[in-house]
Formats: sequence, C-alpha cells, structure tokens
Amino acid sequence: MANEFTALYVAYTIVWAGVFVYLLYLFMRQRSITKNIELLKQELSKHGK
Amino acid sequence: MNLKLGKYWVWFAGISAALMLITVLLAVYYAPVAASSVKTANELFPSIEGSTITVAGFVADREIMNPIRYPEDPPVTAIILADFSDYRRYLDAVVAGDLEGEWWTVEPITVRGPYLPLGTNVSATGEVVATLDSSSFMLSCDSSDDVVELSSPGEAGIMTSPISQKIFYFHMPSAWVSYVGFFLTLVFGVMYLRTRNRTYDRVAASSAELGVLFATIAIVTGPVWAKEEWGVYWRWDDTKLVTTFVMWLVYIGYLMLRAAVVDHSVRARISAVYGILGFVTMPMSLLSSRIAPLIRSSHPQVIASSSGGLSMEAGITIGIAVVAFTFLFITMLIKRVEIEESEDELEELKRRVGGEE
Repeated sequence: MANEFTALYVAYTIVWAGVFVYLLYLFMRQRSITKNIELLKQELSKHGK
Repeated sequence: MNLKLGKYWVWFAGISAALMLITVLLAVYYAPVAASSVKTANELFPSIEGSTITVAGFVADREIMNPIRYPEDPPVTAIILADFSDYRRYLDAVVAGDLEGEWWTVEPITVRGPYLPLGTNVSATGEVVATLDSSSFMLSCDSSDDVVELSSPGEAGIMTSPISQKIFYFHMPSAWVSYVGFFLTLVFGVMYLRTRNRTYDRVAASSAELGVLFATIAIVTGPVWAKEEWGVYWRWDDTKLVTTFVMWLVYIGYLMLRAAVVDHSVRARISAVYGILGFVTMPMSLLSSRIAPLIRSSHPQVIASSSGGLSMEAGITIGIAVVAFTFLFITMLIKRVEIEESEDELEELKRRVGGEE
C-alpha cells in the first residue's frame, strides 16, 4: 500500500511539475521578448523612426 | 488577425485553477479506487464448460519474481490478461499443477519449472472443465494434465493496485488534451495553407507544443501506474503504448522542424504540411486499444462496451478532470499564441533596426 501511495505522489508531482515548469518557461520567455522589444523600440526612437 | 483572447486570460487561468483543485479533491477523496465495474465470471462466461478457450497475457505479479519454489509452497498467483474473441479482462490466475515437473506450456517460451519471470508473455489453450463458483473456472490445458484456475477479482478488484489507479484521473485528461492539441495543429495547418494567414500558423505551432507537453505528461505518468499494475513500466508489444510513443516522436519532429527553418513563410508552409501528415498518428494512438482483439493491447479502455464501464463517481471525476485540463489547455494556448505574436513583433523590429544600420 505504501508503494501505491508513492506511485500516486510521483505521478501527481510529474503532472504539476510539468505544468508549472512550462508556465514558468512561458512567462520567462515572454518577459525576455518584451524586454528586447522595448530595447529595440528605444533604439528606433533614438534614430527618429 | 488577432484572436483577441488575451484579455480573458486571467479568467481562463482562474477557472482552470479552480477546476484543477476540484479535480484533485475529487480524485483523492471522492473517486472510487477502481475505475471499472467488473462482471463476474459467470456473467462473462455464461456457459463455457466444455468449450476450448485461449487465455493469453503476461505475468505481472511481483511475487513471481522468486526464482526458486518448492512443492510445499502455495500456488503461484499470476495476473494475466484473458484474451477471448470479443472482450479482454484481467483475471487472477492461480496456477496449480505438478510443482516439480513442467508446468503449463506458455508461448512464446516454455517455462520449465515453477517459475514465471516477470513480464513473461503467456498463453494457455484448454478446455473449461468446471465452473467453480460465480467468479472462477478451471481450465485444463492441452499441453499437459495441469489445470489452470481462473477467477475474476470481483466488483472492486479489477485493479491490482487500486490506489495508484487514481493516476488515471490525470493521465487520461492529459492524453485527451494532447489529442486536442494535435487536432488543432491539423485544423489550423489546413487553414494556414488555404489563407496564408500568419495567425493560423501561430495557433498550429502553439497547439503542437502544448500537445507534446501533455503527451509527455501522459507518457510519463502511464508507466508509473503500469509499474504498480502490470509490474513493468513499459510493454513494447502493446499497441496503445507504442502508437502513442510514435505520435509523440512525430510531434517532437514537428517542433524540431520549426526550430530548424528560419524563414517565416517557408517554416509555416512546411510545418503545416508536416502537421497534416503527422496527424495520422493521432487516431492510431486513440483507437489502438479499441480495435483489439484485432491488435493486442492491454491498455485499459475508459469507456468500455461489453466489458463494463466507469462507475458514476469515477465518471463525474474524470468528466470534471477533462473539463479542467481543457480549460488549462486553452489558458496555456492563449499565452503561447501571445508569445508567438510577440516573437514576430521582435523579429520585425530587429529587421527594421538591422535595415537602418
């Protein structure tokens, strides 16, 4: 029975870890892109574009 | 064109989180430990005495790992998959016979001695000589005088590992949304080829990525359950497992293809065609356990036909879990498409800055 609960915990951890790691990856990626967009917009505004 | 769903993202995220919490509570405290109701042997085999049947499957009981057994040892209990012409069912098989001599013949190998290694494929063809009670019968094998006694485990006992069976409430919805993701990749790939609208390509790519994420979760959680239930993590002779693995590889290939092609329009066109062709693996995976016994699969069927089905509590739990995962998928898809749009904007800005310099 103890092993069965271990399997349950392992599986549930995999599900939630997978979801949270992916969401974290999405937010970090979005933050990085937004930052780069702002930098490039500043660069363009400096040159009057 | 913009899907304009971004402003609803917080709502989708909130609903997803609430539904997920409800799913966890239902799965842990409400859902029964066994997903399917089990018919008794008499219901399954109404008049089988005298008929010749074949029982096939694989050994999945850890106790059988003991390589040395003596005549005074109790009979070995094996969990085998009964494979008849129109249904499949797990059965406890108490193997009786001459412990010192050769046991019953199994295919593709013949086990010599009272020892069935874990994972061994076994089958026994014989005549049903007696129905013992409402849930068991005796099978006299052709190969020897040994007798195999089979018994249905009863109403709540279809699963040998009932607690770990609750993995099903997250494993199956994960697989479901992965199928949804790959289906959307097909639909939006076709729409892109028809209209060349960049938004459709973004949704197709995002759907494929999410499909791979959820397929990965399903492929990893499945073996955790299988180890408890079957005694092995993976079976390469199971069509459901293999076709799902192939589908997963195909869509990993889709993501690699997109990463390898730089030009936007070429990448969108090639990946749309790949997504359409690759979709053939999705119904193969989805239907593989349903077209048994034409193709062998011991993967459980969620919505069974003649062999039973979900109890009400399990049905409610799995229904809410599917809705929860679908909302989670939509939530992630909205965010992922937004990122694709931002990446395109970034590329455009880089091109303008580069052109200026």
